[in-house]
Amino acid sequence: MERVRKLTSALGLVAGLFGLASLSGPALAADCPIKIGGLAPLSAPGSVTGGEAMRDAMILAQRDINAAGGVLGCDIEVVIADTEGLPEKARALMEKLITQDGVVAVGGGYHSSVGVAGKDVANDRGIPVVFAETWNDTITGDKQKYIFRIAPLSSWASGVIWQFAAQAPGVKKVAIVTENTDYGIPAAAECEKGLASKGISSTTFGVDIGTQDFAGIVERVKAEDPDYVIVLLTGEAGYNYAQQAADAGIGPMDMMFHANQAGLESKSWWENVPDGNLAFMARIGVPETMYNETALKFAEDYKAKTGKTGVESYALEAYDSIGVLAQAINEAGSTNGDAIVDALENISHDGTLGRIYFPYGTKKDPSADGKGDEWWHQWPDPAITMVQYQKEGEPSNTMTIVYPDVYKTGDPIYVGN
Amino acid sequence: MQYSSIFWWTILWVVFWGVTGGIGTRKVYLRKDLDTSNATLGGSLIGAAFGPFGLAPLWWKSPEIGRVMITLSSLVVIGIIAVAFANADPENNCVSNGSFVASQITNGLIIGIIYGLMAMGLTLIFSILGIVSFAHGAFYMIGGMLVYYIINVWFPGTHPLIGVLGSCMITFGLGALFERLFLTPMYDGRVERPVEYGILVTFGLSFTLTYLVAALAGFNPVKVKRFFDFPRIRLPDSSDPWLIKTSRGNMELFDTVSISNPRFVAAILSIMVLVGLLLFLHRTWTGKGLRAVSQDRDAAAITGINPNRMNMLAFALGCMIAALSGAVLVQAFSWLPVVGLIPEMRSFVIVVLGGLGSLPGAFVGGTLVGLVEAAGTGCVPNPQKASSYIPAYGMIILTIMLLLRPMGLFGRKFASGAHGKF
Repeated sequence: MERVRKLTSALGLVAGLFGLASLSGPALAADCPIKIGGLAPLSAPGSVTGGEAMRDAMILAQRDINAAGGVLGCDIEVVIADTEGLPEKARALMEKLITQDGVVAVGGGYHSSVGVAGKDVANDRGIPVVFAETWNDTITGDKQKYIFRIAPLSSWASGVIWQFAAQAPGVKKVAIVTENTDYGIPAAAECEKGLASKGISSTTFGVDIGTQDFAGIVERVKAEDPDYVIVLLTGEAGYNYAQQAADAGIGPMDMMFHANQAGLESKSWWENVPDGNLAFMARIGVPETMYNETALKFAEDYKAKTGKTGVESYALEAYDSIGVLAQAINEAGSTNGDAIVDALENISHDGTLGRIYFPYGTKKDPSADGKGDEWWHQWPDPAITMVQYQKEGEPSNTMTIVYPDVYKTGDPIYVGN
Repeated sequence: MQYSSIFWWTILWVVFWGVTGGIGTRKVYLRKDLDTSNATLGGSLIGAAFGPFGLAPLWWKSPEIGRVMITLSSLVVIGIIAVAFANADPENNCVSNGSFVASQITNGLIIGIIYGLMAMGLTLIFSILGIVSFAHGAFYMIGGMLVYYIINVWFPGTHPLIGVLGSCMITFGLGALFERLFLTPMYDGRVERPVEYGILVTFGLSFTLTYLVAALAGFNPVKVKRFFDFPRIRLPDSSDPWLIKTSRGNMELFDTVSISNPRFVAAILSIMVLVGLLLFLHRTWTGKGLRAVSQDRDAAAITGINPNRMNMLAFALGCMIAALSGAVLVQAFSWLPVVGLIPEMRSFVIVVLGGLGSLPGAFVGGTLVGLVEAAGTGCVPNPQKASSYIPAYGMIILTIMLLLRPMGLFGRKFASGAHGKF
């Protein structure tokens, strides 16, 4: 009987140890490395230029975090997932990242449509996501517990685009060429509304993502005889439109022309849009001359890794999305989703874009400060500037900042005036 | 659209009498024991064009429905729809802006010619081998990629036309090699279902080529510079160049029609290749051999033509033509490994529209699709939707054609195919 009691006690002890081990799970060496998902479009019809920049930045983030001691005593591994810019792929990818790859959080993300489609899966499964470059307001506007964003809101970024167009001399009519996506449609609507508030008429032309031949639309835009063109097309579609418009005499060198920020990848821009000089673009983040130490270090490493002369804003955002998640996991002391969310809501992360924090969430609703739901889990401080290529073949890091005045490095060149 | 009811009532009228004509004429011709091959198409067009005033004499006299009757009725139908549209939406650019209309037609014709060239490659393969090559889009993509690599990466400074020539030679060789390695089992009974085998194996080739190029070249868009810049021309007078005015990248004719340089150059090169291809097929022994095999393999073999060798030539030539379409367009569009998917689908539409196995059909079908797409993009009143429906415009025409004339515009009722199975 004594033997049985001893055996039972021993079994109980072993079971208890297993129980303890399973409770403390994530921090154990057995769970190393800690996996974080990294969303990026690496195939068409997604914006591959943007996706590759984000992938490189997230890999650098992984390297830097691991070199600094990792997270919870483990290395991190960023599991890059190719979204192809397709919403239908986003849900399946998010499921795969969570259930098969075992990620504890997700960063990155370029196309809004991917963010809109994928966020529900992550939220339902309790996996925190910090979206890097998805602008659509509804991503945070749905006030989901596990969803955060460091990219600017679409309504806000579009505001900079239309405000700049509205203050340009002699602008009475604007043509907006947009993709039919969760990024393009609301951004175009915001621009239309904003321009109308300044008494400027506008016409929006919608195209499908991945469209190649814009001849018909270019002719329609030409027939409208606009003073300013705003192009909200990501990836190579933006390049195709810009060059075909230039061939038809309504490109950036013929009239005031806002191109998508994919054009900030200057090598690709000049190869695909050789007549793309004088195009305006919106850029997230401060100019390189105002970079903080983290950004300067990242810029140096990024240029060495990619051979590029400048750093795209989405690369900075992607790097920070992984950095902020790593810090949150460390501060949470666990890979539990709720604990990470709690840490994110209290975080103060010194990233390449500045100090990242989320003032609104479960502890304080945006309405407390009279703000809309879209400010939920939204970083409120990303700087947005308007930049312009003013020399053919110019690298994006020397582009002239033309708006707003606080960051201005030169006067804009307004074509057609 | 200001007065949309005018347009939609007209469409309803045209559709009603078109359907009545299509169904009724076939029945009438069958009852009178007459040739019904054009009855559905002719009857529906005459019904749509003239309503009961055209159908009554048609059913009473029941003449032979020839191409002239079909063409004239088609033009009348187009005219009726155009007039209704003009009355319904008088401020539309397609109605009120002649310059816009001329530019759209020119753009449609130019891109249609290039579509036609690409589809001719597909139809050539089909008419000889009897298979639909699903690798056609991949060869289109490779054609452009090779030009980029030849003139920008491997031999910088090489003339673009050398790049195009190099691209043609490489893809011709690649096509011939693939045909020898993978398609020969179709000819000697080594596979039970040769046609299905051909489709699957070309489908596999398409995947392999696309992702091989993606692995080697990446997914970043690339592009080559314009092959030629337009010289500066101002005619008749430099102060008033109403006839022709050029800049490096654009040509303006009659102060109205605007043609971009890359498209113009691509169209001219395509026309030259089309002429060359037709001369080859009609004036050379090998070309005549190809045509003979497409008509009757066994009879061709009896006269001393080796059908298997013609298979290789047709497949290689078809792949090269697809590549050539890409090679001339890489100066117009940004190029990616998946760039061939949409043109490939469009080629299928064109080939079926023009008639499977018909070279003139492919060319006419391509031009038709180019024009319809240009009209749709330019004239659909809602600018947010006009361009989004581009893939649908061709499909609408195809659906109507399949309903009225399943063998397509120039198709034969019993195309011989690889083994006379069609």
